[in-house]
Parts: sequence; C-alpha cells; structure tokens
Amino acid sequence: MNTLTTYRSCRVLCLMLFACCTGIAAAPLDEPLKPVPDMPRQDPERVELGRRLFHDPRLSVNNSLSCASCHQLDKNGADSRALSLGFDGLPVAVNTPTVFNASLNFRQFWDGRVETLEEQSNVVITSPHEMGNDWNTVVQRIAGDPDYQRSFGAAYPDAVTKANIQNALTSFERTLLTPGSRFDQYLQGNTDILTLDEKYGYQRFKDYGCIACHQGVNIGGNMYQKFGVFGDYIADRGHPTEADQGRFNVTADEADRAVFKVPSLRNVALTAPYFHDGSAPTLERAVDVMFQYQLGRMPSEEDKALIIEFLKTLTGHWEGQP
Amino acid sequence: MMTTVSGRRSLLLLSLLAVVLASILVFLYLKSSSEQTTTYTESRDLIRQIKQQDSQWESEVLKARVAITHNYDPLVSPMNEMNRLWARFESMDTGQRSDESRQWDHARERFLDAMQEKTRLVEQFKSHNALLRNSLAFLPSAEDDIQAQLANLSDLDKIQLQNIVTDTYDLLLSALEFAQVASDDKASDIEVGLNKLAVNAQRLPANFQMPIRILSEHIALILREQPIVNHLLDQIEAIPVAERLDTITNMLDLDQQQAERTDQKYHFYLLVFSVLLMLSLLWLAIRLIRSFAEINRVNAALQTANDVLEQRVDERTRELKNAQSELLDAARQAGMAEIATNVLHNVGNVLNSVNISSDLISRKLHSSKALGLGKAMQLINEHPHDLGSFLTEDAKGKLLPGYLNQLVGAIAQEQQEMADELAQMNKSVDHIKDIVATQQSYAGANSMTEPLYINELLEDALRMNAGALTRHHVTVVKEYGDVPQVMGDKHRLLLILINLISNAKYAMADLSNRPRTITLGVRIVDEGFLEISVRDDGEGIAPENMTRIFAHGFTTRKDGHGFGLHSCALAAIEMNGHLTAHSDGPGLGAVFTLQIPLIKVTEHA
Repeated sequence: MNTLTTYRSCRVLCLMLFACCTGIAAAPLDEPLKPVPDMPRQDPERVELGRRLFHDPRLSVNNSLSCASCHQLDKNGADSRALSLGFDGLPVAVNTPTVFNASLNFRQFWDGRVETLEEQSNVVITSPHEMGNDWNTVVQRIAGDPDYQRSFGAAYPDAVTKANIQNALTSFERTLLTPGSRFDQYLQGNTDILTLDEKYGYQRFKDYGCIACHQGVNIGGNMYQKFGVFGDYIADRGHPTEADQGRFNVTADEADRAVFKVPSLRNVALTAPYFHDGSAPTLERAVDVMFQYQLGRMPSEEDKALIIEFLKTLTGHWEGQP
Repeated sequence: MMTTVSGRRSLLLLSLLAVVLASILVFLYLKSSSEQTTTYTESRDLIRQIKQQDSQWESEVLKARVAITHNYDPLVSPMNEMNRLWARFESMDTGQRSDESRQWDHARERFLDAMQEKTRLVEQFKSHNALLRNSLAFLPSAEDDIQAQLANLSDLDKIQLQNIVTDTYDLLLSALEFAQVASDDKASDIEVGLNKLAVNAQRLPANFQMPIRILSEHIALILREQPIVNHLLDQIEAIPVAERLDTITNMLDLDQQQAERTDQKYHFYLLVFSVLLMLSLLWLAIRLIRSFAEINRVNAALQTANDVLEQRVDERTRELKNAQSELLDAARQAGMAEIATNVLHNVGNVLNSVNISSDLISRKLHSSKALGLGKAMQLINEHPHDLGSFLTEDAKGKLLPGYLNQLVGAIAQEQQEMADELAQMNKSVDHIKDIVATQQSYAGANSMTEPLYINELLEDALRMNAGALTRHHVTVVKEYGDVPQVMGDKHRLLLILINLISNAKYAMADLSNRPRTITLGVRIVDEGFLEISVRDDGEGIAPENMTRIFAHGFTTRKDGHGFGLHSCALAAIEMNGHLTAHSDGPGLGAVFTLQIPLIKVTEHA
C-alpha cells in the first residue's frame, strides 16, 4: 500500500467514521459513484402510451417482436440469451444491454453510435436484423388502431407521427430507473446498510482501478474504452465478427478498434450474460476477464469475492421489485 | 348635388390619409421595434453559456488529467449541455439572416466541426486517461508486490536480486517522472530499462516473474498512453471552440450593430414623423380654436339677431293684438250698429202705425159730428125768446130735437172709434218701448253666463230682425227640440244668432223663383252639446270659399265688412264651442251650425 492509496482509504474511513458519528445527519457521501437520480417529471399519458408501444409487436415488420421481447422487463430489461433473435429468428450482432437506467448512459448502443434514446428506437425499428420495419408501416399500423388513435390524440397535438411514437417510447424508457439499491442507500448516507465485506468490496473496486471506467451516476455508461487493454480478448475468444470492431464501425478510426461504451454496472448481478458478445456467462467470469484484459492485474480470490459482493449491492428496484 | 359629391370625395380622401398615416406609423413602429434586440441578447446569452460550458468542460478535462476526480460524468454533462444550448440557439436563429446565410452557415459549420472534433478528442482522452491514471495509481502497489516477494527470500538471494530490484525501482521512478515530463530521452530510458528488466527477469524465480511482468506491462502502458494523453490534451486545447463561439458572437454583434443602426434610423424617422404629426395636430388645434371662435362669434351674432327678431315679433304681435282688439271693438260697434239699425227699423215700422193712428184720429176730429152740435146751438140761440115755440112751431125748430138725438149717437160712435185708435197707438208706443228696452238690455253686456231658454233667445233674435224678415217676405220655420233651461252667454249667443239670421236673409236676397225660408233648429247632440242651426236655401257657398268663410275680412257682399262670421266664430270659441258651415254648393243653400257645451241649470245649481 502506497501513501496515496493509504491516504485515500484513510479519508474514506474517516468519512465513514464521520458519517457514523454524526449518524443523525446521514449526509450523502462524496464518492465517484452517484445514486440514481429522481424520476423525471413527464406526461403520464405519454408514458402509458410508451408502455403499450414498448410491448407492441406491431413495431416489427412481421409482428413478431416488441421492444420487450429482448428488453424483458421481468429480466431486468435485458435478455438472458447471449444474442437475442431478430424478427427473422436469426441472432442479432451484439448482446442486448439492459433498458433499465439506459437514459443515464451518455450514448446508446455498445458502440455508442447514437446520442439519444429516440435515435436508438429508430435504429432498432429500422434495423434489417432487429425489427426490420420502416416508419411508414409503423405509423400506419399504430394510426390504424382506434385505441392508439384516441390515446395519441389526447397526448399529442398532432396525433400519431414518427416523432410522437419515438417520444412516447422514450418517455416510458425514462421511467425505467432502478433506484434504491443498497449501495445507493449507502451513498445517500445510510452507511450501515452495507456489510463490512461489501464495504471492503467497494474498497477493492476502487483500489484495483475498476472505478477508472465504472464510475458516475450509472457506474459506467459515461465513456468509451478499449476492450482488451492488456491482451486481445477478441483474438483469445476467437471468431472475430464485424461487431467486435466496436466504435471503429462508427468512426473508421484505427484507434477506435475494439472500443466499446463502458456498460453500466447497475443490476449487474442479474443481467448475465456479459459483454457485447455475451461471452461471459457469469459475473465471476466477467470479473476475471476484466482483471485480465482491462486492468492487467491478478487479484487474490478473496479480493475478487469481495468485489463480487460489492457488485451485488448495485441491484436496485424497478416498480418495487429487485 | 355638387356639394354632396365633393363632400363624399373629401371624406374618402380624409379616410385615405388617415389610413396612410396609420400605416406609416405602424410600419415605422414595427421597423424600430426591439424584437431583434431581445433575440440578440438571448442569442448572445446562449453563446456565452456555451462558452462557459466549454471552459468548464476544459477544466474538468484538466481535473481528470491530474486525477482529482474519478467521476467522468462532469466530462459528459458540459458537452450535453452545450449541445442542448446550441440546439436552442439554432432554433431561435433560423430564418433570420437569409442575406448573410452563407457566412452564417460557414460560422456554424466551423463551430460544429470544432465541437465534434473536441468531443471525439475528449472521448479518447477519457479512455486513455482512465488507463493511464489506473496504471500510474497501480505502480506503487506493483512495486509493493515485488518488495513483498523479496521480503520472503533469504538474505543471500536478496543480494543476488538487489540489482534487479533497484532496476525496477529506477524504472518505476522513471515512469513516474515520465508521467510528469514526457520527454523522448526519458521514453528511451524507460524502454531500455524495460528491455533490461525483461531480460533479467528470466533469471528470476517463477514467483518473481508475475509481479515483474505486470509491472512491466503497466509501465509499458504508461509509456504508451502518457504521450497520447498529452497529445490529446494539446489537441483539445488547440480546438478553437471558444474562438468559433467568439466569431459567432462577433457576427451577432455586427448584426446587432447593423440592426441598431437600422433601428436608430427608423427611430429617427419615427421621431420626424411624430414631429410632423405633432405639428399638424398643432395646426389643426389652432384651426379648431379659430373656427371655434368663429362659431362663437356667429353664434353671438345669431343670438343678437334672434333677440332683435324676437323683439320685433313681440312688437308685431302686440300690434296685431291691438289691431285685433280694435277690430273686435269695431266689430262690436258694427254689431251694435246693426242692432241699432234693426231697432230703428222696427221702431220706424211701429211709428208708421202710430202715425196712421194719429192721422186717423186727426181726420176723425176734423170730420167730427160735434160740429153739427154747434149749428143746432146756433139755431137755438137765434130763438132765445121763443125757444119753445120755435121748437114746436117752426119747421126747422121741430126737426131740431131729432137731429140732436141723431148727433148724440154719432158723437158717441166717433168717440168710441177714437178711443180705439188711441188704444192702438198706445200699443204701438209700448212696442217701441219694448224694442228699445230689448236693445238696451243687450248692448254692452259682458261675458256673463245666466240661465236662459234658448228658444226665447231665438225669438228675441227673430224679433230684432223681424222688420227685415217681413220686408223680404221670409218665412221662418222653427224646428225647436225639447231643450231645458241652460246656462249661457246671452250677449254672445244673440250676437251670433242675429248675425246668422241676417246672413241667411242676405243669402236669399236674390231669390225670386221660390219662397224664402229660414229654418232654425235647436237640439241636443251627444248628450253634452247644444246645437243651434240656421239653414237657408239661398245662394250657398262655393267650395273654394269654404275654407276662408270664417277668415277675417272675408265677404261676398258689396257692402259687407267681412268680420261678421269671423267675430261669430271667435265668440263661439270664447264659449268653448265652435261654429261650422256646410253647403252642398252654390245655389243649394247653406247651413251654419253652432255647437256649445250644454250646461243645464239644474246641473249648475
């Protein structure tokens, strides 16, 4: 332990002590990780419309897939398969990231090719591998439903349009936050909520440098990073695909090869499999890969277990359920 | 006609002028409105905020560079905020500067390019910096790991390894130094050191290999990433986002200055226009005041004229009233004269009888048989002594007693006749007295109502005209209804009736082919009016005269005054009644009808 880390851990301990002493105040902790913000204020009619659209298979060209087919809300907004199946029954290029807390990400998709959720819905609906639809058909189908027609008429001045469908979907997605994780409660000042091991886990998480990329309000999701800093994970995995090129597909910059958006670690314990290719079936495996290829470190088994303990405290609640 | 047309035209011109003035005013107002200024301030404010966010972004980049923070959210939010602000700026800006759109497009594109480039660089910086910071932070503990391994060894081995350990320590220090000053010399030093370590490490025990490999990898990473991060920082610093924003601000300023100049120009125009309007208002006000004074003056003149006129009308009215009362007096006098004429006429008629009577008496006296008594006495006187003998013997004397007897009878009859004649004369004198008394009872009587029988009044009127009526052989037909005693103005009624009867009489003066008849009628109409009508079958009234028959001075007679009927009508009105005339036409006679309110005496009492 060098002076710097010692000092830092001292500070953390001091802070923890301070929080314990002042107990009553329960002031939020000043950490690189931040709790989930409050739900934004939105028109409930639009949110409800978005919920219906989210579950509506008419968005896909052959009425086979809804958003919820891959972003399964009962499976933490993700798919338990490594690669979800598109409308044509063929697996799509990358693993389905969770829709939960997606509005907190600085870009959407693994390669961050769009900035907004609206654009994200556009790309998925029109993608020839995912929903394979076009907007004319979508608008026509939605407008043809008198129920939708009425609800859109009530929620929007210009009824059913592409922009309004996107807005409704986005409005719903903005409500898909998972606040109240035990770690968030800890960050909000309730330091007793974590066990000692979990606190140590957090300490290890910081010491080993996981926090260099997984930080901020979404514990990740706010920067790009090369997948395979120490060693080439993709080559070791084998069968490289186009999707493995990451942001290179977007920028055509050689420096962006195998660069992906750092995913959020919220609810990470429940969103297996992991990585853009869904190649890590368990959290343990994912942590191992991270240590080997991203951090270039060999942690002790104990430290790894502590970190996994910590990661499990990041599970929040959606509609009151974990 | 001409005035109406020109009036309409001037009204049209006036409204046209008003519309033109109003539109000029609106035009100038709109032109000089400060809408642009608001947009300008808002735009400038947005650009300023973007600039602020940009510098915050840069400061967050530097903070991340010196590892003050591990949270990269602050590096995302300024960028998002800048994009949001820019979107607002763009939405506000669109469609405003079409003339310089090329220049604007250029400036915008240049900003967006800079922004995009900066975003790209910052993202790269984030990635590389995270790695670099991580490895730098790890170096001390990596060294610790090696030292820990070293501690496990025996002293002899320690000495053997001392050089390698020192080398790694040097390498570590070089790497930390390199993190501060990334010079090429240092870089090649580290590279040499790394190679040396790699070679030396082969000779080390297996448990040393791993920590040294890890340390080497991290140092290699630092060696690789530090220049990249430094270069990225330089590049980020060189991205002229702030300058692009300044350009935009300058353009905004220029635009604003231009707008302000235009604004000032139109303000000036507005001012000039206002002054002109003010002047014209002043002029109008002066005109108004003048015309107001003129109107006042004219009004005053009119007032004076009016007063004078009123005075004159008053005078004239007074004169007319005087004339009327004079006329009335004249009429009354004329009426009285007529009455007097009638009276005198009647009196004359009766005087005729008196004259005849006295003549008769006088003649009777002259031829009286009393003279025979004188002769008888003379015979007696001639025989004073022998009277007896004479009476018995003388032939003459013997006749004398018989003669005397006859004489006594004759004288007695004479006396009887003369007494009769005197009685007749007395009667005539009484009649005269009556007539005079009647006339006196009416002349000069006031407007006083008194109980009277209307039939008696008609009889009086007839009596006063009796002479003339008899002379003209006029038959009077009386159709008197059953009328009770009423209250009435005897004098006025009589005046009217005498006039009407007289008129009727005159109307029939030229009638020769049929008997002249006046029909007098009295009846009650509508329960409340007493109606007296005088109808003749004389010359009638021409329709054209009908309307002015009661007018003052109207007459159809050569010697008429023309105020008889006029005064009658006035008198009727004075009694709250009215007098009307009706004629079926010339030669068909006429009827005059007087209606007055019926006031029964019983009621009155």
